[in-house]
Amino acid sequence: MFAINRDFAPPFKLIAPYFIIGVLFYLLSSLFAFSLDISSIGYMDPSVIAWVHIFLLGFIMMIIFGAMAQLVPVVLENGHFAVDLYYIIWPLLLFGTLMMAYGFIFSPLALPFGGLTVLIAMLTFLFDTFMTIRKIEKKLNFTMVSVIIANIFLLLGVVFGIVLALGYSGMISINLADLLKGHVYLVVMGYIVTTIFGLSMVLIPMFGLSHHFSWRPIKTALVLMSIGVLSVAISSLFDLLALSYFGYLLSALSLLLYVFQMFVLYKTRARKEHDVYAKSLYISLTSLVSSFLLCILYLFSKNEAMILVTGWLIFTGFFGFIITGHLYKIVPFLVWFERFSPLVGKEKVPMLANMIPIKSANSQVLFSALGVFIGAYGLFLSNNNLFKVGVLFLCVGGIFLLRNLIYIIRFK
Amino acid sequence: MLNEEKVYEAISTVIDPEVGFNLVEMGLIYKVEIKDSNHVIVTMTLSTQACPLHQMIVQWVKEACERVEEVSECEVNVVWEPAWNITMANENVKKALGA
Repeated sequence: MFAINRDFAPPFKLIAPYFIIGVLFYLLSSLFAFSLDISSIGYMDPSVIAWVHIFLLGFIMMIIFGAMAQLVPVVLENGHFAVDLYYIIWPLLLFGTLMMAYGFIFSPLALPFGGLTVLIAMLTFLFDTFMTIRKIEKKLNFTMVSVIIANIFLLLGVVFGIVLALGYSGMISINLADLLKGHVYLVVMGYIVTTIFGLSMVLIPMFGLSHHFSWRPIKTALVLMSIGVLSVAISSLFDLLALSYFGYLLSALSLLLYVFQMFVLYKTRARKEHDVYAKSLYISLTSLVSSFLLCILYLFSKNEAMILVTGWLIFTGFFGFIITGHLYKIVPFLVWFERFSPLVGKEKVPMLANMIPIKSANSQVLFSALGVFIGAYGLFLSNNNLFKVGVLFLCVGGIFLLRNLIYIIRFK
Repeated sequence: MLNEEKVYEAISTVIDPEVGFNLVEMGLIYKVEIKDSNHVIVTMTLSTQACPLHQMIVQWVKEACERVEEVSECEVNVVWEPAWNITMANENVKKALGA
């Protein structure tokens, strides 16, 4: 039997910077997207790579790391090995991400330094996580296994990344395109998606009160994704094209199984309200399914715009909404835990739902969703103006998100 | 005189902040036993094993129970069998959740 107690729960002041900076990066990445001229760019364009790093490192990874500060004790059923390390992870990740973005846009020489700073941030995170994993005494459950696998992939992804940064700056000679494929797959599919698999199976049934459901789809999805990521990573080292296609196929099947598992959780949930959390999940999964359809179209058309749209939908739609949706659950809980839980039994305390500005949160979901889908349509048509309209909506959504986060943090 | 109803009433002041219902109407309190010297044993569960408030909820139940004047001491046991499901909640909760 396990219980998080106050010794395990990190103080909110430790976690708050991750969420605030993460949301600021969400806004920054939206603003940066205005500078992209989609009529002439490809996915290897430095400005696209800069945007991807601002979004993935600054927003996605920053918020995942912050969330893991609180969730690692819940998921691994142990206190952190050294939770204070989280005080240095966010400044390193912040500085490293900004320097990498600068490197991609203005000066490639800044890349190794930015990459090295990000590497130190991630190694610090991995050190705490692996040392915490070592403390596990009970039989490993699905989420623990997924956290272990995800962090191994992150370690490999970071090593690939630093080699890439050295190559990109001209310090060493390597095949950038091949290694980039391995790096992207290890970090995006290996770490982010595998982490989403694991945490989804803790958080979504918990918030939706889902019970008596099958775990088979997600367990199979984890196996397929692990083999898929390894296949693509190995193929990127030895230029084995067939192996990389095998990896893509397994990853696609894995994501389909994840969608099916989410459908199973949806059907077995007791809590049927369509709140801002549920709406965010619907949009996230709709984006994922839409990206599948585009991938299939790409196989027939070989139109590179499809790859850009797929990436856009997965990043801003699938990742973006699953993360922002969970912010509406995790942040109120952390604030409540810190500020109101000591008052239980002594005075009336708010419910978590009371801490969310409903209208403003719904506005964020609406504007961000419009941003994702109009932006995707603009990319699909290679229509710069339409894409910018989508980006504008995304910016407005980002402003609402920041406003909502501040409202929740300052709730009294 | 101490009886189970008084204890249930006291525990019904403990509310799950996530769903907004008290533990009794959620059906999370499985059994209340009153032993010699008004020692109370509460057997309960939680809606999920991953509940981050697990220890605090147990503490709140113990404190609420011990606020009943006649209770000398309260012991709270958390069990996972039978696993909680929505059919254990009362009709108000089911209706409010849309179950």
